[in-house]
Amino acid sequence: MHAVSKSSEPRKTAKMSKSREKNTKRRVVEDDEDQLDLFKENKDEAPQKQVEKDGPSDGEDSDDSDSEESVFSGLEDSGSDSEDSEEDEEDFEEEASSGDENQGEGSSGLKTKQELSFTKKTQGKPQREKLLVKEKTTAGKTVVLKGVAKDNGTVQGEKKSKGQAIPPPQVDEYEHDTSDEEDIRNTVGNVPMEWYQDYPHIGYDLEGKKIFKPIRNKDELDEFLDKMENPDYWRTVHDKMTSTDIRLTDEQISLVHRLQSGQFGDVNFNEYEPYIDFFSGETMIHPVTNRPQDKRSFIPSLIEKEKVSKMVHAIKMGWIKPRKPKESDLQFYDLWAKEDPNAILGRHKMHVPAPKMKLPGHEESYNPPPEYLLTEEERLAWEQQDPEDRKLSFLPQKFSCLRSVPAYSRFIHERFERCLDLYLCPRQRKMRVNVDPEDLIPKLPKPRDLQPFPTIQSLIYRGHSSLVRCISLSPSGQWLASGSDDCTVRLWEVSTGRCMKTVEVGGAVRSIVWNPNPAICLVAVCFNETVVLLNPYLADKLVYNATDQLIASYVEPEEERPQPVQWQVPEIEDSDKGFRLIITHPKSVKQVTWHSKGDYLASVLSDNSNMQVLIHQVSKRRSQNPFRKNKGLVQCVSFHPIRPYFFVASQRCVRVYNLIKQELMKKLMANCKWISSMAIHPGGDNVICGSYDSRLSWFDLDLSTKPYKVLRHHKKALRGVAFHKNYPLFASGSDDGSVIVCHGMVYNDLLQNPLIVPVKVLKGHTLTHNLGVLDVAFHPTQPWVFSSGADATIRLFT
Amino acid sequence: MSQLQVRFFTENAKYKVDDVPFSIPAASQVQDLSNIINKLLEAKHTGHSNVEFDFLVRGNFLRTSLVNHMEAEGISTEEVVEIEYVQRFMAPQPEECIMHDDWISSVDTESEWILTGSYDKTARIWTQEGKAVMTVAGHTDVVKDVAWVKRDGVTSLLLTSSMDQTAILWEWNVERNKLKARHCCRGHAGSVDSIAVSPNQTKFCSGSWDKMLKIWSAVPTDKEDELEEQRDRPRKKQKTEQMGLTRTPIMTLSGHIEAVSSVLWSDNEEVCSASWDHTIRLWDVETGNMKSTLTGSKVFNCISYSPLCRRLASGSTDRHVRLWDPRSKDGSLVLLSLTSHTGWVTAVRWSPSNEQQLISGSLDCVVKLWDTRSCKAPLYDMAAHEDKVLCVDWREDGVRAHFTMSPTRSGTM
Repeated sequence: MHAVSKSSEPRKTAKMSKSREKNTKRRVVEDDEDQLDLFKENKDEAPQKQVEKDGPSDGEDSDDSDSEESVFSGLEDSGSDSEDSEEDEEDFEEEASSGDENQGEGSSGLKTKQELSFTKKTQGKPQREKLLVKEKTTAGKTVVLKGVAKDNGTVQGEKKSKGQAIPPPQVDEYEHDTSDEEDIRNTVGNVPMEWYQDYPHIGYDLEGKKIFKPIRNKDELDEFLDKMENPDYWRTVHDKMTSTDIRLTDEQISLVHRLQSGQFGDVNFNEYEPYIDFFSGETMIHPVTNRPQDKRSFIPSLIEKEKVSKMVHAIKMGWIKPRKPKESDLQFYDLWAKEDPNAILGRHKMHVPAPKMKLPGHEESYNPPPEYLLTEEERLAWEQQDPEDRKLSFLPQKFSCLRSVPAYSRFIHERFERCLDLYLCPRQRKMRVNVDPEDLIPKLPKPRDLQPFPTIQSLIYRGHSSLVRCISLSPSGQWLASGSDDCTVRLWEVSTGRCMKTVEVGGAVRSIVWNPNPAICLVAVCFNETVVLLNPYLADKLVYNATDQLIASYVEPEEERPQPVQWQVPEIEDSDKGFRLIITHPKSVKQVTWHSKGDYLASVLSDNSNMQVLIHQVSKRRSQNPFRKNKGLVQCVSFHPIRPYFFVASQRCVRVYNLIKQELMKKLMANCKWISSMAIHPGGDNVICGSYDSRLSWFDLDLSTKPYKVLRHHKKALRGVAFHKNYPLFASGSDDGSVIVCHGMVYNDLLQNPLIVPVKVLKGHTLTHNLGVLDVAFHPTQPWVFSSGADATIRLFT
Repeated sequence: MSQLQVRFFTENAKYKVDDVPFSIPAASQVQDLSNIINKLLEAKHTGHSNVEFDFLVRGNFLRTSLVNHMEAEGISTEEVVEIEYVQRFMAPQPEECIMHDDWISSVDTESEWILTGSYDKTARIWTQEGKAVMTVAGHTDVVKDVAWVKRDGVTSLLLTSSMDQTAILWEWNVERNKLKARHCCRGHAGSVDSIAVSPNQTKFCSGSWDKMLKIWSAVPTDKEDELEEQRDRPRKKQKTEQMGLTRTPIMTLSGHIEAVSSVLWSDNEEVCSASWDHTIRLWDVETGNMKSTLTGSKVFNCISYSPLCRRLASGSTDRHVRLWDPRSKDGSLVLLSLTSHTGWVTAVRWSPSNEQQLISGSLDCVVKLWDTRSCKAPLYDMAAHEDKVLCVDWREDGVRAHFTMSPTRSGTM
């Protein structure tokens, strides 16, 4: 509010103050509508306050006040002695002429209510401001404009006595002043002043006399002139209650300014005084008040207890759920929520940065070295080339200086090409299998964990004069029989290498086998077309005597059956050599083998006819040709160690026959060109085949007919293979002069495949006529391997 | 490090020198040290003749320069080094070569005679000078082992075992040079590869290829034991041709699962046997029970026991000579491995007089003399043989030890 009500004079009675104030306020609201709230403080006008208050007697502001005084002059006499009345009358005039809303008031005839308004023109500026101040003036000599009346509780705090520019101590402020007293110059009270429009007065003063309106009302022209001429017009307000114009003092204007800008009216009031926090959170040693504590402050509240118990019960019963924590308002859709962060093909991992462009080289220089510049022919060739075939996409050019280099015409084109490339080129990460090549090698146990196996050459059995084609160990392991191309069979003591016996036979010995039955001491030797059963007399006396008796106890059958071979009892001289039986075949025999029981004997004839394999029974001296027709050239045959199976190895495959059912059981495809030798695992379920194309094939009969493993360790043709009877060892001898010993563990568990680890290459034989090792054999009880070679020696490796 | 503080000491009072520290060059070899000792002894006794000494630093023979040896052994060179010196065991020289026309499978020495068994099915008795005194013929197969049993007066008892599955106890009258087969010990079912006579000379033990050990009485009697087996006529006829009375074993010790290669008596009640089943077993002769087993990893060819140091030495097919403590119960405690041979060790024999020396023979044609104080390398290699060495033996002759070894085709002394 711009309006400021002031109770400046203490001497007035306080009767109607309240009602009047209200009325005043309402009026001011009305006035507000057509008044500018802005006005400018003009320091120059400050002295005019005094003029207004002091009247003509005051000489300071004679110019301004004179004009006004002149206006009021007539009133002074006619009205009361007070200045207020003069002003009132003047206002009255003004109002009447201006035709303002205050005209009604003036007509009411009531006296003391005045509205004062005036306009003022500021110096040399077109801007004009109107200020409305409601003001109460007291009769008498002093006019006090109280700016702080509303703000301060002590309305009367500030006062200036008229005519006295004297400090307050001289005046007793409270002498004629009360707090609720109103400035009563017009006693009409809080009534609309329109009621006095038609009356010459506007109210009544304290004595009951009429307060007359000013004689001369200001009309529009007066108003305008006043506005033009009166420099204080802007600070002049019209008091409707008294119909006087009041010129506001500098203090009042500054007060108005402060209030308008929302500041406190009192200049000295410091709104930012430090705050004294009496009721801080800190615990004081003394109470803030001296008041004794209420009883209820330390007695637990029964009502609260009841409330709490109800809530506890409700919580227990589950009626009240604990408050859920408020979810955050911000809900975002997680675009990658379903993406697996560990996915190999995850988007974040599949990011492939665009390949970098090639950095410019010398030929791109504006001043390239001369060798980069194309000659004329090259340039022609370049031009004739298809753009795609060009090695360089541009022609290197030379410029004398960088300044003369023209703009690159293909820039946009090349940018476009680049973008097109990046867009069209599928950039995808190649899923590279990161495998350590070491991991691909099967985990084989170390050879030293597979001990024992033969590692070193220990003994050499010398005595033969030609290549030793075949060797065989006695079942006890004490003796070794060997057959050689020098037409002898030698029998050796294993432990010393002593040749115990040499038996002359009639031809190169192709095969020699010791009877596997320990109760029979017989060696089957084949040379030429003959198979000789030889008693070496190297065993327990009882055993070899029993063997002789067994052979001698043969009785001729009644009816002679046609035999494919001829059984003979040797002559005396042959008998002295140890020959016990001679089986003469129609063709030369290349292999002979015993059944594990020691009664049956199979021989292989090197013939392409139907009679290639013969099975002989020693005790009955009977022979039979088990196969009516042989497919291919039979290389070697072998009996199954346990079951009545018969293995026949032809050049390319091994056929397994069941001798009892007389049928073919299996055909093992060796995947090699020419099988040379074959050995059956003592368990009977695994077969190894050596071939002339330097392969060793391991067949697991429980698996397929294809080799379970093919070992290509030898460099030349394999000549002999052998299994050890007790140890998981097998050996192969080859034309390259070496014997390779492998660990071949066969598990009883059918689910576990055999473990084959090559453990040792044994060298010792010297190559003779491109032949190396011709036969290998294992010691029956020790992990020792014997090999016979073309260098006429037999070597023992332990 | 040019000088070392050493102090010499010896067990032999004859060669004692003053017990004072000497400062000698660190690079001194055995010969230098030996010269020093000889000089000292000459200064002490005027009549001292030069003697070769050998030196032991902390129980190991000095073979390189002193400083190298101490470096290898980790001995501090700051302190005074205690060096023991002994009279050097002179390098053996072949003294005598006994030529045999076949392989010699075994040899046994006695104070006066040498008994050899040969692959020509005979055994022979030789004098020290290599003169054949007697040929023991009677076996029908290779003689695998021979042993002297005892000698009283003019008669000596000797044993031969053969591949013909028998062992024969012979009585040899030295004066008349008459040999008589007293007993033919039958019972083995394989070649009898090894025999050993008990220390009290009343029993002997045989080990055979048939995996059995048999204990026999070594006392000749006139009573013939009955064989259980029924034999047919020709065999009986053959038996009558046999010399001596048939004798059957007192006890059979079975337990080996492979051929028994070597047997010996460690005392009167204990027999020790080595076998191809990689074990050495100790047997109690009184009860016939097996007492303990020492397990190796390879076939054992031979064992020898020294009552002086109570160690077993074994030679096996993995080319090592191993020393065992037969009293250890946990089975396989190898005390020492002597590694130098390059072939199977076929024979090993402790010195009867020196507790630290043993000889070994191998199929690599070398006989080696070992000292357990120098386990890295043998003392001497005796490479006089041209063929495989199958057996070796020591012979005690006063102070100096002769040893006889019998290789194939030649016996050298």
